[in-house]
Amino acid sequence: MKKYMKKSEIWTFGIGLFGVALMTGWMPDYTATFFADFAFKGKGFDTVTMGNMISTVFLVAGFVGAICELVIGYLVDNTRTKFGKVKPWVGFGVVPLAIVAMLVFVAPNTNSQTVAIIWMFVIYSLYTAFSCAVESPANCFGSLCSPNPAERSSAISIASFLRSVGQSGGMVVVLVVGLIMKAVMGEQQYKNAEGQGLDLVISTAVCALGLVLFVMIFFANNKENVPFTQEKVSLKDAVKVVFTNKNLLMVSLTKLTGFGRGVYGTVSLYIAIYLLGSKDLKLALLLPMGIGTAVGTLLVNLVLKKFNTKQTFILFCVYGASALGILFLVSRGIGFNDGLIIPFLILNFFCGLQHGNTNVTPNIMIADCVDEIEYKTGKRQDGLAYAGYGLFSKIASALTKGLGPWLLYTWSGYMVSTDANVAYAAQTDGTLNKMLMIYTIIPAVFVILQGVPILFYDMVGEKKEMITKALAERRAEVQQTAADGAEQA
Amino acid sequence: MAKKEKTFPVKLYALLAFFAVAALLAVIVTVTFQTKYTGYHPEEVARVYADTVVQTGDGYNAYKNALPSVNDKYGDFIRKQYIYPLVYREAGYRPGDKTDELTGFNDASYMGEKSKTDDGSLQGQVIDTMYPYYVELIANGWDDYDTIFKNYFAKLVEVRKEVFGDDYMTDEIMFAALEGNVKTYGKSLTGTEDVFDENSGEQLEFKSIGAYQTAYGEEYKFTTVVLSENEIALDAYKAGLDTDRLAVYGISADEITAVKSFTVGVQTEDGATVTQATVVVVKIGSTWYVDNTVTDTAPLYNFYK
Repeated sequence: MKKYMKKSEIWTFGIGLFGVALMTGWMPDYTATFFADFAFKGKGFDTVTMGNMISTVFLVAGFVGAICELVIGYLVDNTRTKFGKVKPWVGFGVVPLAIVAMLVFVAPNTNSQTVAIIWMFVIYSLYTAFSCAVESPANCFGSLCSPNPAERSSAISIASFLRSVGQSGGMVVVLVVGLIMKAVMGEQQYKNAEGQGLDLVISTAVCALGLVLFVMIFFANNKENVPFTQEKVSLKDAVKVVFTNKNLLMVSLTKLTGFGRGVYGTVSLYIAIYLLGSKDLKLALLLPMGIGTAVGTLLVNLVLKKFNTKQTFILFCVYGASALGILFLVSRGIGFNDGLIIPFLILNFFCGLQHGNTNVTPNIMIADCVDEIEYKTGKRQDGLAYAGYGLFSKIASALTKGLGPWLLYTWSGYMVSTDANVAYAAQTDGTLNKMLMIYTIIPAVFVILQGVPILFYDMVGEKKEMITKALAERRAEVQQTAADGAEQA
Repeated sequence: MAKKEKTFPVKLYALLAFFAVAALLAVIVTVTFQTKYTGYHPEEVARVYADTVVQTGDGYNAYKNALPSVNDKYGDFIRKQYIYPLVYREAGYRPGDKTDELTGFNDASYMGEKSKTDDGSLQGQVIDTMYPYYVELIANGWDDYDTIFKNYFAKLVEVRKEVFGDDYMTDEIMFAALEGNVKTYGKSLTGTEDVFDENSGEQLEFKSIGAYQTAYGEEYKFTTVVLSENEIALDAYKAGLDTDRLAVYGISADEITAVKSFTVGVQTEDGATVTQATVVVVKIGSTWYVDNTVTDTAPLYNFYK
């Protein structure tokens, strides 16, 4: 089948997503830190009230994000410009996004706690809305970059890989900024500036500039190769698409059925302390998992050359659950001592591989679903299809955040230290075993569950080929009609 | 001839957007840094110094904005001048020596059985034993930090040996003990509230009434303000500097390009000034530091008695 993308376009698509992820990956955690520890330092505000309000800020931002996902998706599908329907959102939205993200880290100098709280709500909700307006369309560019499914899959794989790298990019930025500040200011003055949150301010500026630079490279070099359909989409039809197209719904449901996959993050610090012996090993735990995820993202691309998306997704689910199961059995076999460290870290890498699947395959499947919807309805609704998936992701993320702490603090029977000089209290064997289960067996169950909806997914094989062919013919007809019209005029 | 269709200059827009955002971000960062970074504001350096001392009696951390912190991280200054001479005492360590090739009491071979198996309880016992001695040492404040550090760490070596039965000693142990005592002393002034664990509901800390609360009421609140700036001539100030002491900090009088003196007052919520101190600050490079060699913080320690 004909290729539509230049080689450079495949990479610059990924570079664009890298830039967006650099910013959006940086913001939530560091914003929470900034609001809690630095924004109003020394103002004498009530810490309990501020702590509760910061949690509420993120809760409200979650709702704002969920609504924005659908609204932006709807607006994207009703956008018709010379650049296409997605590119204007990304290319023009990135400038205000960079500025608003920066302003999140510039707290007003106020002595009023009420003003401080209002500011946090307004600025972070504003950031959430702008990030949705850029990130959501940027993610759905994958379905518009090429009508050729194979070419599209390759582009999405590479872009997903770069996006997952970008999500951790902020950690590198803050490290490098810290080193430069130390060299320029001296060790203690750097510590003082860090104590005022100024390293976060500079790091945010670097991430914001990176966002604009990388997105502009994408904006200047990439074009949408799938023509948009001319019919306007009503809001009612738009929302209907998200919940009534079987295949799209199944892909989105993987997020809900697999929501507990992420609970391991809640216990990683305690796994490092109690099972491996040092809290410093938390980074060592995350690193092999992160590398595994990046390698997994590339691996999926290879697997997709042999198997279709449905088979690939299920294969990785089975693999992921098995890897976590093996990690559980090996840990129980060796026991919680120094001898466990190396095998645990190695197996952690293999457990990370499965995450490559969840980063890539659903995005390819959604692009295929958009084709199916266009084939059935004559309307191409890339924006809403990705928005629907984003909506389910946000709900799943909220459920994970609720389940993780419940499992750790209630179900496992975790004992908090009551001695001011002892940071972490000794735990019973039962609690330690349950912690290991939260890290391995429980995520494994959810990994299997996330594969269940995909059993009902059928946009593969002959059906996919038939739809791709039919759409190509339909688009050729439209082009021919347009050319004839132009000739007659 | 057909009129050529105007196209949007994408590459030009990309370039302009990038440079415009870069310029705007640079302005925002510069303004924020200038505004927030206390080191650029002499008045604020003086006020924060007095504030750190007065809020929790913490003269120890106040030095992070003073001359010992010009060339070294404050913690490293303490290591070089006071901790390593004890940890590497048998290796003849002198401030500034490299420690990589020295064997000190931080070597694992000095660990006895209790050091190997302690879950923090024995270390807690050491910290508790050191506390009365710490309070005695800082009775007149932290201005003579040299005496405080030397005596405190020497005593800590003895106390730890009594509790653990070995000579093992590291910088971490020393900092943990000292900082633990600094914190406890702060709580003795401010008082504490009941603290419960969020998840288990277990009580972690109990309510206590601090010395400040006894003197000014449970809801007391201290605010530090700069009351006045006092004239001080740079040349006369430099002529009176203790050059030997500056050498310990790795600085010379020539590096000081400006000097200011501020009277900082400590006020209660009704605006009454309960005590005040004169804080001298000097400019080295583009940053202001408190000159602890001429600043007297004694009035900030015992005013509530």
